[in-house]
Amino acid sequence: MLRMPEPDQNTLARRKDIIAAMRDIIPSPGGVIVDDDQLRPYECDGLMAYRQLPMIVVLPENTQQVADILKYCHTHKIRVVPRGAGTGLSGGALPMADAITISMMKFNRVLDIDWDNRAAVVQPGVTNLGITRAVEHEGFYYAPDPSSQIACSIGGNIAENSGGVHCLKYGLTTNNVLGVEMVTIEGEILRIGGKGLDQAGYDLLGIITGSEGLLGIVTEVTVRILRKPETARALLLGFNSSEEGGNCVAAIIAAGIIPGGLEMMDAPAIKATEEFVQAGYPLDVEALLLVELDGPQVEVDYLIDRVGKIAKDCGAVYSRISENEEERLLFWSGRKNAFPAIGRISPDYMCMDGTIPRGRLSEVLTGMQNLSKQHGLGVANVFHAGDGNLHPLIMFDANKPGDLEKAEAFGADILKLCVAVGGVLSGEHGIGVEKRDLMGEMFTTDDMKHQERIKMAFDEDQLLNPGKVFPTLHGCGELKTLHAKAVADKFPDIPRF
Amino acid sequence: MDVLSPTTPDQLRDAVGWALGSETPLEIIGSGSKRAYGHNVQTNAVLDCSKLSGILFYQPEELVISARAGTPLAEIKAALAEKNQQFHFEPGNFPGLLDASNGPDAGTIGGLVACNIAGPRRIKVGAARDHLLGFEAVSGRAEDFKSGGRVMKNVTGFDLSKLMAGAFGTLGVMHTVTLKVMPNDETSATVIVACSDPRAAGKAMTLAMRSENEVSAAAWIAPEDAPHLDVPLAGEYGSGLVVLRIEGPQPSVAWRADALCRALADFGECHEVPESHSHSIWKVVADVAPFAAADNSDSTLWRVSVPPASGGDICAQLIEKAGGRAMMDWAGGLIWLQVPGSDIPAATVDAIRDIAAAAGGQAVLVRATGELRKITPVFHPENPALARINAKIKENLDPHGILNPGRIAPISQNGEGA
Repeated sequence: MLRMPEPDQNTLARRKDIIAAMRDIIPSPGGVIVDDDQLRPYECDGLMAYRQLPMIVVLPENTQQVADILKYCHTHKIRVVPRGAGTGLSGGALPMADAITISMMKFNRVLDIDWDNRAAVVQPGVTNLGITRAVEHEGFYYAPDPSSQIACSIGGNIAENSGGVHCLKYGLTTNNVLGVEMVTIEGEILRIGGKGLDQAGYDLLGIITGSEGLLGIVTEVTVRILRKPETARALLLGFNSSEEGGNCVAAIIAAGIIPGGLEMMDAPAIKATEEFVQAGYPLDVEALLLVELDGPQVEVDYLIDRVGKIAKDCGAVYSRISENEEERLLFWSGRKNAFPAIGRISPDYMCMDGTIPRGRLSEVLTGMQNLSKQHGLGVANVFHAGDGNLHPLIMFDANKPGDLEKAEAFGADILKLCVAVGGVLSGEHGIGVEKRDLMGEMFTTDDMKHQERIKMAFDEDQLLNPGKVFPTLHGCGELKTLHAKAVADKFPDIPRF
Repeated sequence: MDVLSPTTPDQLRDAVGWALGSETPLEIIGSGSKRAYGHNVQTNAVLDCSKLSGILFYQPEELVISARAGTPLAEIKAALAEKNQQFHFEPGNFPGLLDASNGPDAGTIGGLVACNIAGPRRIKVGAARDHLLGFEAVSGRAEDFKSGGRVMKNVTGFDLSKLMAGAFGTLGVMHTVTLKVMPNDETSATVIVACSDPRAAGKAMTLAMRSENEVSAAAWIAPEDAPHLDVPLAGEYGSGLVVLRIEGPQPSVAWRADALCRALADFGECHEVPESHSHSIWKVVADVAPFAAADNSDSTLWRVSVPPASGGDICAQLIEKAGGRAMMDWAGGLIWLQVPGSDIPAATVDAIRDIAAAAGGQAVLVRATGELRKITPVFHPENPALARINAKIKENLDPHGILNPGRIAPISQNGEGA
């Protein structure tokens, strides 16, 4: 069972004083939430298996208030949990009993759109889709598109380095963020990056993106916006085995074609989604590929033709090309509704998020079927086939005693399998609390200590989002001490000149 | 002078362990091709990583290559070319800007990553930092550490790869790097527009980037440097040239090149250069050939990075204030400024940095004499608040300052970083 750091009794005893201090900083009504029934909506994020009422929730309205809150917390050694839209799937915004949850959802304005530099400056509470909405009238969009894009905030996207279905061609959040304004735990307001492409010093923007709220609180974001492709068309390709489907993906890429989207679903996922949305998916195939080509009409038509031929050579037993926008969206409706479709056939499901080298796909799927039998729980798979990001959906019933634990054990085994074939624990959801205790599968203690040393450069007292990402929090003193065995006083036995 | 040349990661760790134990700072080099980039590192020992060499795996269909950091770039480029692939960030011959003795593919893959080099396509796909999937290294604590992996979608722990790219070896010595590769495009075409005024060129590039034609590179060459492009018509133009690249499948490239020419007709005479010539044009731009060290002995070279749309204006200001010649890449986001002479007055240095900073950008001294680099910070001064965090990161990963001391910031008399 998940263990979080013990609540600090001293902090809990001072709750009244802390509330008063927060109300001084945020005088607006509703800016400081203290009653249990109003705290309840904040007790979890998208990882609903874990819940904890926060000590207090605050909703600052401007950067100075964030700075004042953090300065107070730093002075009084109070823990802080940053929160965006609360859609995260790894529990990155799971509250703590002795921590202030800082909700950034009042930072909801688009500040500036710089068409000439193709950049948008927005507040972190703006939703991912909100950015596209703000720029689409000029034919632009924001590329990373996690499936929660209607609800998830760009601040949360930065925390988790969110992906989506277009990463192979357009990159992840980290490749599309140009700059941030961030407040440190000391209350200092930093500006990192900007519309220029090079920055002095170490790449702090790169390390902040994907740092899961452990390094600071982002209060403003500058992202790259792209011209929307003139058109997009999709192919549905069915195969008799996931291996053939995987080979087709490899053949498309080997031909030098990088599709805008390249998704795969296995038989259980196809069946569940087809029953739910009737996207017209074939039910007699073992693997379904959804390939989307985007660009100028002439390019898309040309590539659709080439991909169709490649698929035929790879043994596709089903092939359908979208003939209009309506049909393209219908093809996608199945894939985009895969999660709720599973939710419909199973009382509960757990969405995993590993990435594997693509060539190991069929091996991993077979391994997963074996694990499914072993744990006695069903699993359906949706897969960002282009970039190797796998989303197994484990089906269980939380009301059945022991089922949640079984699902968690099954999930952990899947992620271990991903790591064993050269993959990673998380492709786009983050580690949070969900995969925290599996970090050792991928990293040595020294690896993790080096990461924690970056944390220490930003937050020496470990007040920002404790209990997330790292299974063990090493003290600063321990992290600073040099390893005696690493230090050699003798000249090493290596070639020298 | 001790030169340590480890041949395995274990030996590398031992070497750093010795340096730590004996408090002997190390200058870290691969092939040494970019040794003149940054400040001189004055140490009694050199850690030569060139023997940590060889491609570990290359899987074209997975778009990934992994190699020891000391692997020659030439070897890696040859392997990629054989499979019709490339590094999408298009590194040019940066070493050739530093030292005339460097050959066309000088350098190692580790050095390329450590200096975060990127060429013309950066405006579309990013720099080395965006393509480094993972690394393994030894920190200044003489401990092994790694981050990332071999897959392109990964949020498992902090993304230390970003820190290592562009850290100039000051946080750790990488022995293994894993990078994303991409297929070569089916074809490419270059659209050239006659344009001598940098301000107008900036506007043309901005318009091109705003269009839906997916321009993958946009550069401007001044009239005096235009002959380097060797475009058949260039001699007749006698003018500067805006060059814009379109890449992709053949029918798409033809369609987009036409559309781009029409969109830019107001800026000047516009031509489409066929693929056969397109590649050599972009090699000139990636290599910054007009300012190569070999042909420009008594000069100083600056690399000024600003928001792209302000590039034309900043470029004109720099030429007015500092004199010399300039070239733009990244649609104006990168300005190469070559100033005559090796002894630049402090007032000129300040003017260049002020112009860059006022635009929200920065200016880096790329080619300069050792003397000039002693008295002028090579890298743009950091914002003090960020510098404090950077200093803590450095202290935490290299507490005794044994890795490339002074490479990024000169060491002052009392041994403190300036």
